[in-house]
Amino acid sequence: MNKVGFILKDYLVLLMILGLALVTAIIQPKFISPANLNNIMRQFGPLILVALGMTFVIVGGFIDLSVAGTINLVAVVTITLIDPLGQVGALIAGLVIGSICGAINAGLILTSGATTQAEALFITFGMSTVYSSLALIYSGGSTFHFWDLKEMPNMFEAIGAGSVGPLSVSFVIFLGALALLWIFHTKMAAGRAISLTGGNKTAARLSGVPIERSIVLIYTIAGFMAALGAIVLFSRVTTASPVIGAGFETNAILAVVVGGTTLKGGKGSVLRTVMGVLLVILLNNCLNLLGVSSYMQWAARGAILVFAIWLDNRKEVQGNQL
Amino acid sequence: MVRFNKVLAIGLALSLGLAVGASAANVKVAFIVSNQANESQAFSAKEFVKYGPDYGFDVSTFDAKGDTQAESQIVTTCIAQGFKAIFVNPNDIRAIVPALKKAKEAKVIVGMFSSELIGADQQYRDFAASSDDVLGGQLAAQQMIKAFPNGAKIVEIGGQAGHNAQLSRHDGFNGDKGIKGSKITVLDFKACQQWATDQAQAIMEDNIVKYGKDIQGVFVHWDNGATGVIQAAKAAGLKNLFIVGVDGNKAGYVQVKSGDQAVSIAQDFTAMAKKELQLAKDALAGKKANPAFNVIPQIIYDKASVSKYPLPQW
Repeated sequence: MNKVGFILKDYLVLLMILGLALVTAIIQPKFISPANLNNIMRQFGPLILVALGMTFVIVGGFIDLSVAGTINLVAVVTITLIDPLGQVGALIAGLVIGSICGAINAGLILTSGATTQAEALFITFGMSTVYSSLALIYSGGSTFHFWDLKEMPNMFEAIGAGSVGPLSVSFVIFLGALALLWIFHTKMAAGRAISLTGGNKTAARLSGVPIERSIVLIYTIAGFMAALGAIVLFSRVTTASPVIGAGFETNAILAVVVGGTTLKGGKGSVLRTVMGVLLVILLNNCLNLLGVSSYMQWAARGAILVFAIWLDNRKEVQGNQL
Repeated sequence: MVRFNKVLAIGLALSLGLAVGASAANVKVAFIVSNQANESQAFSAKEFVKYGPDYGFDVSTFDAKGDTQAESQIVTTCIAQGFKAIFVNPNDIRAIVPALKKAKEAKVIVGMFSSELIGADQQYRDFAASSDDVLGGQLAAQQMIKAFPNGAKIVEIGGQAGHNAQLSRHDGFNGDKGIKGSKITVLDFKACQQWATDQAQAIMEDNIVKYGKDIQGVFVHWDNGATGVIQAAKAAGLKNLFIVGVDGNKAGYVQVKSGDQAVSIAQDFTAMAKKELQLAKDALAGKKANPAFNVIPQIIYDKASVSKYPLPQW
């Protein structure tokens, strides 16, 4: 494998984004209109936040299917707490609930002795059902709307539809989260320990890496980011239903893997996830603008996921052969 | 301690007596929900439980959680537990048939709720009550034609792609009794991955980029989806869009009343539940349902009529 080949593979997502954008812009010039760029920025909001949290789970060698349940629970609880606690109180409560959900996942994984991605998959799938059921019981199956509240929640309206200069508020939240998580992952010992945990748990343990602490951090971050995603999501649509998070777990995993973070754990970064989410969002946006049917859009997303995993495996195989 | 035990024993005896009394008075029936996470079905379950005693029934509800196989197992469990009648909202109208066949063999009364079996499979149910989703699409089309007799450019945003209600509403809207042959032009049609408000909103945002102010109307397959369409239109400064939704839930009602949504084609799940309960009561008394398939009329909420109706409870 020559150097050009490696570079091409490393930057393939970026090349795909550029190619997709170029083709769409030629066929449908409105793609590069300010209105569409604004749309892409707003559609970016909820998914990227969930996917950033998911990055740490996958880099740590695990998986988290509970984020959909966490989003469901946080969304319905937070919106109903706005009247009694005020907007800031409800926001904090929502983030705390999401973090607790993540910490519970970590506790179950640690106490069960689960060390593989498959074990984590089943535990978090079960917990997703539990969190979703709690959301259904709490809401009685109903959807809550901003107009159900005593006063319109200005802060949440701003999160969903407001702007800071040319940027949407949700995009500013994303930039802040990205900066903090990137610093944590690359500059802090606890962040680097997550990569070591995902790379080889036994070697990491023998080297004195606190694996248990890493697992708690991984899932608490994922829960916190799912909660942040839930808040941006219901602020955007102005309603919270107990099924609002459906599909977010698979889309987040898709974005992380397509971005280039390996499912095998140990390697990956939040910056790569940004590329993955951008590709997923752009794919929807471009195919909508090009008039491609819903069924074909799913097929395209599935094909990209399969291709990303295939490419990841090929890189591994060819890397070992060198 | 002895006194506490006596009180406890008396309490338990009384509770048991009350429970036995209740079950002796009422017939055990079951409502099997395809997925209680669906707002309309959760509401329907509440209505069955609420109105069951009026028809002499104790209604138990079971949730198949969107799982076809689980739903079949629930049917067989209900047979084993001696339920006299079951009301089924199936995830898959074909896959549920073997379980319903067993129910019929066990002489259990079978009612299809918000759904109907096809062709020869209908022998395995006693009756069905449902809104007609094809008709729902047709009614939406008629509202659109009425609003734009000289024609208009609209977009259609479908519910969960492949879902029976989505397919039927799309067919009804675009068929012979829908906009076919009218001057309404559908600029774009996309269905969502789920019945998710954010997905309807994202599709509408993309439609606005593509067609801008050419869009005069939107047919969106469910009222919570219309909430997303309204948000997208507001963000883009698009005013006077003629938005038609289906469901007639709380969101649709409020949106029509506020003028954000022009029309909601409302489904009456309370009437549907009551009809099923009445048909089951008749069937247990030996009276055959005629007709076996009962269409529950849909109500049109628009700016002029919406205030005549109470705020929906779901």
